[in-house]
Amino acid sequence: MTAAAAAPSSAQTPASFIVESPTMLTGVLMPRDYSPDGRNVSPPLTWRGLPEGTRQIAVLCQDHGAGRPPPWVHWIIYNIPGNATGLPEGVPFDPSERMPDEIAGATQGNNGWGLPMYRGPAPPGTSLHHYHFAVFALDTELDLPPGLTRDELLEAIEGHVIGLGSMVPLYQRQPSGNGPQFPS
Amino acid sequence: MNDDDARERNDSSVISRRDLLRTAGAAGAAALVPHSIAAAAPAEAIEAGAAALPGPSIATAPAPTGPLMNLTARETEILSAMVDRLIPSDELGPGALEAGALRFIDRALSEAESDSAGAYRSGLAALDRYSHYSRGAAFVELSATDQDSVLIDLQTGGATGANVGFVGSSGSFFNMVKSHTWQGTFGDPHYGGNVDFIGWDLIGYPGVRLQVSEEDQRALEADELTPVRRSAYDYATFRVDQ
Repeated sequence: MTAAAAAPSSAQTPASFIVESPTMLTGVLMPRDYSPDGRNVSPPLTWRGLPEGTRQIAVLCQDHGAGRPPPWVHWIIYNIPGNATGLPEGVPFDPSERMPDEIAGATQGNNGWGLPMYRGPAPPGTSLHHYHFAVFALDTELDLPPGLTRDELLEAIEGHVIGLGSMVPLYQRQPSGNGPQFPS
Repeated sequence: MNDDDARERNDSSVISRRDLLRTAGAAGAAALVPHSIAAAAPAEAIEAGAAALPGPSIATAPAPTGPLMNLTARETEILSAMVDRLIPSDELGPGALEAGALRFIDRALSEAESDSAGAYRSGLAALDRYSHYSRGAAFVELSATDQDSVLIDLQTGGATGANVGFVGSSGSFFNMVKSHTWQGTFGDPHYGGNVDFIGWDLIGYPGVRLQVSEEDQRALEADELTPVRRSAYDYATFRVDQ
C-alpha cells in the first residue's frame, strides 16, 4: 500500500513532491536511534517542490504490515506551517515542551499506542518492516486540536490535500547494538 | 513485544506525566475508599470511633526511615529514579518519592506483594541493561527527558525486543511498578504510603468521611472543604480487629 492510498479523497489529484531525510533513505534500514533500539527520537525530514498555495502541512508515519487492522501508526504531526521545509530530528515528546521555531504551532496526534508523540519501529522478531512517512500539503490553515487519531486527521484534512509526498525507509530490530551506518 | 502485541495489550494508561496522572490518580484513590464510607453515620459515632483507637493516629505517626528491607542499594537507586519520574515533584507539589511510594513498595514486597519480589529484581536489572543498550548509560545517569523516553519504551513494549532480560513484556513490568507507585502515593496512609496525605492533596481528595452534610457538599463545590487528615483505619468502623 502506498502513502497515496492513505490520502483522503480530494476534488483533484494531489500533486507529488519530494520528501527526503538527511539520515534515511527509501528502501534502506533507518538508523537505530529512531527506534527503541536507540534513543527513539523522531527522524529529520525535508521536503521540496510543494504545490503553490500550500498553507499548512501534516505528516503521518505508519506501518501497513502491522496493526489489527493495519496500519499501525507511529507518528502524527500537523498544524505545521506551510513555509516549513522539513521537521528537525527529535521533535519533543512532552506536550508541555515548546516546538522548535521552524515548526512553531505544530501539534502531535495520538499514535497507535494512544500517545501524542513519535515512537519508532519495533517489528517482531527479526522481521523487516516498511515505514511510510507521508507528507500532506494542505490548501488551508487548520487549527486542529492535539491528540487526533489517524482517522480523525484524515477526516479533518479531507478536501484540503493539494500535494502529497512520501518516503519509505525500513527497519529490523538490532539487538546486537551494531546498527547500520547511513551511507556518506 | 511487537507493535501488534502492544496494541492488543495496551490499556488506556498513559505515560507518567503528572497532568496525565491526575485523573487516574483520583480514580485510584476513590477506589481505595471502603464502600461503607458512603453510609451515613452520626457525628458522635464517628468521633467515638476515632477516639477508641489506641496509640497515635496513623495519620500522625512519623514516617519510617532507614534502609529498605527488601531491595538492594542498587535496586533502590533504580526504583527510586523510576518512581520519581512516574509522579515527579514539581510546581504542583511533592511527588511519589516524597509521598513514600518507594518505601511502600519495599514493604509490600515482604507482605501482600511478596510474589512480585522476583519480578522487581529481574525488571529493575533489565531496565538498567536497556538504558545502557539504548541510551548508553545507566538509568539513574540519564537526563529526566531520557528517563521518560526509556519508560515510554517500557510501557509500549518497545524495550521487550531488545532482549535485555525482561521476563515477558517490558510493559508488564512498567504497569506493575506504575500501579504500586499509584497505590503508594494515593492509597490510604495505613499501608505505609501517602505520607502527610501528599497524594490526596495532589488530586484534591478531601479525605475519608463517614458522613457528608449539605454544608460539606456546598464547601466541596466551592473548593473550600477542609480535608480530613485521617486514615480510614483511624475509624473504629474500619478496624479489622473490632
